[in-house]
Amino acid sequence: MFADGLFIGFAVLAVLGAVGLVLFRHPMNGAMSFVVTLISLAGLYALLSAKLIFALQLIVYAGAIMSLIVFIIMFLNIQPGDLPQEETKLFYVLGGGIVVLPIGLFLAKIVKSLPEHSTEILGNNFGGVKEVGLLLFRDWLIPFEIVSILLLVSLVGAVILAGKRGTTK
Amino acid sequence: MMHCYLYLSIILFCLGIIGVIARRNVFTVFMSVELMLNAANLAFITFSRVHESMDGHVLAMMVMAVAAAEAALALAVVILLHKHKSKLDTNVFSLLKG
Repeated sequence: MFADGLFIGFAVLAVLGAVGLVLFRHPMNGAMSFVVTLISLAGLYALLSAKLIFALQLIVYAGAIMSLIVFIIMFLNIQPGDLPQEETKLFYVLGGGIVVLPIGLFLAKIVKSLPEHSTEILGNNFGGVKEVGLLLFRDWLIPFEIVSILLLVSLVGAVILAGKRGTTK
Repeated sequence: MMHCYLYLSIILFCLGIIGVIARRNVFTVFMSVELMLNAANLAFITFSRVHESMDGHVLAMMVMAVAAAEAALALAVVILLHKHKSKLDTNVFSLLKG
């Protein structure tokens, strides 16, 4: 089926991008492979008929947040000598894999016990802007306002932290 | 098909944990945290599709907003630390060690 093929392609791309993020030495290479993961996740959201979240994932995540990270990486002008020496990286990756494997198997067992459900693409405007917006401003109004305050506070904090130029140290 | 999405979410979350454990570069650790947030988002959207209710979409939007706030603050801290120590190694940043 076409949707299954798309799912397999996006899933393989997402996992490869995540593996690249963990293994690449330079953070710029890691950021680029993480962008691949984010874009394939956006494709998966579209397959799950979440239209608004698909657009937001592309605009906010792959667009705004990742361009901020890439901008900071380029702003710091990282030379290969500035990077931490990680000779024991593969050892730690293997050790971390051994530590994480039981957790993953446990979660997989939980997922296996759930009843299977098809994920055909839904019609009737499921996940459209209007429906999600109505839900957001009716049932989730207080959390929405709290998140807006959180964004304001983090903005002020970032300006205070990074913008100390004239003050004494 | 729902199981496949949840398995993919588990795989991405475990890769994020491995990235946080194994790497010492600040940017890679930070992006691994973002990867874990994205894996949680995928699980939210999958369950939202399964139950055909859109609360999961709203929660995913909240997670994105939290990730944006976190990115702004964390990158400001990284710039400050780089200014002080001119290093990107998490082992060097031990100011709170006492």
